Amino acid sequence: MLAFFIGIFLIFLSGIFALLFSEKFKLLIATIVSTIGLIICSFYAFYPLWAKEPLSLVIPEFNPLFGAITFNVDLLSSIFIGIISIISILGLIYSNGYLKHYKGKSLNSHIIFLTTLIASMLLVVTSTNALMFLICWEIMSLSSFFLVIFENEKKEVIKAGVKYLVFMHISVLFIIFAFGLISINAGSFDFNSFKTVLENNAQIANFALALATIGFGVKAGFIPFHNWLPVAHPAAPTHISGLMSGVMIKTGIYGILRMLMLAGTPSQALSFVVLFAGLISALYGIISATNQKNIKKLLAYSSIENIGIIGIGIGVGMLGLSFNFPPMALFGFLGAILHTINHSVFKTLLFFLTGNVYLKCHTKNIESLGGLMKKMPKTGKLFLLGSIAICALPPFNGFVSEFMIYASMFVGLESSNFFVILTLLLSIAVLALVGSTAIICFTKAFSTIFLGTPRSEVAENISSDSEKTMLIPTSILGIFAIVLGICPIMLFNHITPDMIVDVTHSLQAGKDFVIILFLMQTIATISAIFIVFLFALITLKRYLTKNKISKEETWGCGYNRANNKMQYSASSFAHPFIIMFRPLFKNIFDIEKPKGFFPKSAHYSSQTEDFEEAYLLHPVVKFDEWFLSKFETMQSGNIQSYIKYSLIFLALIIIGSLFIG
Amino acid sequence: MIIINLLILIFMPFLMLGIIKKTKAFWGGRKGASIFQPLFDFIKLIKKELVISKTTTSIFNIAPAVSLGVSLFASLFVPFLGYGAIIDIPFGLIAFSYILGFGKFVSIISAMDTGSSFEGMGASREACFTSMVEPAFFITMASIMALSGNYTLSCLKDILKSAGHYGILITVFAVIVLFLMILIECSRVPMDDPETHLELTMIHEVMILDNSSIDLGLFTYANALKMLLFSSLIGLMTIPSSLSFGLNILAYLGLFILISIIIGTIESGMARIRLSHIFEFVFIMSSFALIVLSLTVVRMFGG
Repeated sequence: MLAFFIGIFLIFLSGIFALLFSEKFKLLIATIVSTIGLIICSFYAFYPLWAKEPLSLVIPEFNPLFGAITFNVDLLSSIFIGIISIISILGLIYSNGYLKHYKGKSLNSHIIFLTTLIASMLLVVTSTNALMFLICWEIMSLSSFFLVIFENEKKEVIKAGVKYLVFMHISVLFIIFAFGLISINAGSFDFNSFKTVLENNAQIANFALALATIGFGVKAGFIPFHNWLPVAHPAAPTHISGLMSGVMIKTGIYGILRMLMLAGTPSQALSFVVLFAGLISALYGIISATNQKNIKKLLAYSSIENIGIIGIGIGVGMLGLSFNFPPMALFGFLGAILHTINHSVFKTLLFFLTGNVYLKCHTKNIESLGGLMKKMPKTGKLFLLGSIAICALPPFNGFVSEFMIYASMFVGLESSNFFVILTLLLSIAVLALVGSTAIICFTKAFSTIFLGTPRSEVAENISSDSEKTMLIPTSILGIFAIVLGICPIMLFNHITPDMIVDVTHSLQAGKDFVIILFLMQTIATISAIFIVFLFALITLKRYLTKNKISKEETWGCGYNRANNKMQYSASSFAHPFIIMFRPLFKNIFDIEKPKGFFPKSAHYSSQTEDFEEAYLLHPVVKFDEWFLSKFETMQSGNIQSYIKYSLIFLALIIIGSLFIG
Repeated sequence: MIIINLLILIFMPFLMLGIIKKTKAFWGGRKGASIFQPLFDFIKLIKKELVISKTTTSIFNIAPAVSLGVSLFASLFVPFLGYGAIIDIPFGLIAFSYILGFGKFVSIISAMDTGSSFEGMGASREACFTSMVEPAFFITMASIMALSGNYTLSCLKDILKSAGHYGILITVFAVIVLFLMILIECSRVPMDDPETHLELTMIHEVMILDNSSIDLGLFTYANALKMLLFSSLIGLMTIPSSLSFGLNILAYLGLFILISIIIGTIESGMARIRLSHIFEFVFIMSSFALIVLSLTVVRMFGG
């Protein structure tokens, strides 16, 4: 495993090395050196191809506090190493094109924090020492904070960054609680000793697993802890949003899965809670996304939705484990992992493409765009691909993973428990609703930005498509989306059933695994045949109508001066749907209606606040502020009163120690 | 047998449209056009010139072919005429539904492509109002799958017999759900009025306002084919599987004609529901689906 650490060292080094170069080449050098390091690390994603067993590297005990520090690459880590390394390479290439437009801004700190983020993420998914895990986790949170506030001359960016930082520390607090609880009982920080404690002591296992799920859930973005996502992603520069949404929130999912692997069998109550959290996140996320005009906020809420879907997969898997129904568990976890990989691909693709659009139009408000497909054809086609993939429609990769999650719920119907069957039937309905709402959301986003006629001058004045450094990574991600949709078995070819038997300790699981993979590949092949069939029909129709096409204006019911304001805007497109969910949105309208027969002025503007934030988080924060304000008098700024406090504290300690002895 | 299946697949959608129009003419006291008129219209459309708007991109060009391909490919999953589906994999329902969803996606963006306010309205309404159809359809099919233990679309077969004294109730409500699905997905009254072409009453027709010639023909055919597919699912539930070959085909054809007559009668008897009430109408489908859910769960754990 030494090569892995050479790779990580290279990534760290690239950041510092880049400082030596001039402004023009800094990012390029950092990208090249980091890419070499990431390629080395990505070999570990498919380690079963060249190593028989999980690889580990042990740093022997040099400090009684830490114990021996182990880094381990097993099946679960390898998947996340693959995601992190490949998406980071593409992110770094993209940033070369994107950051070129921020002339005059020093990139020194940005490059260092970017390389630190990537390296710390790789370390997080491989460390099996709880203390080392927490240190790398903190480094990851802090470096991402500094990356988010790149445009720190804007006040709202700093506000967003601080909110993000606070939420990350709430998450780490819960994780520390969970790890602390287990390590006190285990006597050491090593994950293997955690495993022994969790398997033997059910009470501690339930409590610690619940705490850890909350902690990692804040990072991943489950409701009700999602509030940082729609604020941090629009504030961050696009390549950072893409990396965060595509890769960093997956470390939260990694944490939940790792804790599940250590704990063995979760409790039934926790499984239901995780499933419900996933369902609510998916539903709330996509409905909120449909209401957004800011494209990055829309994509952020869509990330919450997809994390919810991954949570549904994990929840169904946990139900399978706790109700002792292994096929459901295997299907559920495989679906969740596949969706994690697929989401990284298409969400990063969509974020990078909005970066392309943002650089050309300098606006994130989709209501002022339109008709970009003719001016930016490659961006438009890739955005269409990404939208179809994220709506989980065949033939792209989203369909296969959502199919697996559906299949896990259908398989669970075979179990004979009343509550499980009822919950699963209703979950199937909720997931179907999430899917159809995603269609509303992404047809709205795609058609408002790229189709029709430009709605304002910023959209009209675009001269050409984006440059190569921004198109190449997105094209590669698009190819991934297609390939993973047609041939997802490529991802699992290197995993033999024996490995599954090792991980799950059941022979049946190995056989089920082969059947599940066969089903997955069959569906993917059907999608492939579907796309080929469609292409055949399209070509046939083109051939038949080759010579008979005439171009006219769009039909306007006799009105020949249609202008761009007559098109449907994004808010009006989603209006029938949003009206139905009106109580869920705290919409603030600023309306001045036209009055009289010759109206002089009128205006309309609307803003939405996140429902959960306005009615759940805000009152809690307001109460905290009120409560703590009662103690304001203690902070008088007067040095004498502080000395008084210290004296009282000393006196209490001395008296207390006399009594406790 | 395959030839008969193909013939029914190609010509029956036009016949169903024709019978609906003939029924409406009957209730309107008119003689009405011949039941083969939609077929003649389609042939006439193919011969016409194709007119495309300058605002549109290549998406507008490919959407009709995609719509046709989607309906044809989805028919591979449906156990047509009571025989097993051509693609008979477990959980095929998900693929069936999502392939139809892909067709919906492409037709919506094709409508927005024209930059017309009419088509945008149709796209918006189609996307938003039909979103509640999926959960209801999934609940119904999943409940019946859980009850019968068969996870393909053929689970609907013989549920009448195998569910004991719950069989009739489950069949009745599931047939209502599927019938409402025909009305909603294939844009019939009371969801949408296929006769008018303007914004007051339109959802689906206004989405294809700018299409002409072969595009229009393909869209119309694809929509009618969806009607045929869902009617086939209804037939799977109601027509016993023990009939002989010839009698089976006659029974299915009779069922398709009966469904067309019922749709025509509903269209003559009702106006299209007020736009603000359409969501409630779509929710009715969900309530029937929940009834099916409770019936199946009770059957599995009690009676």
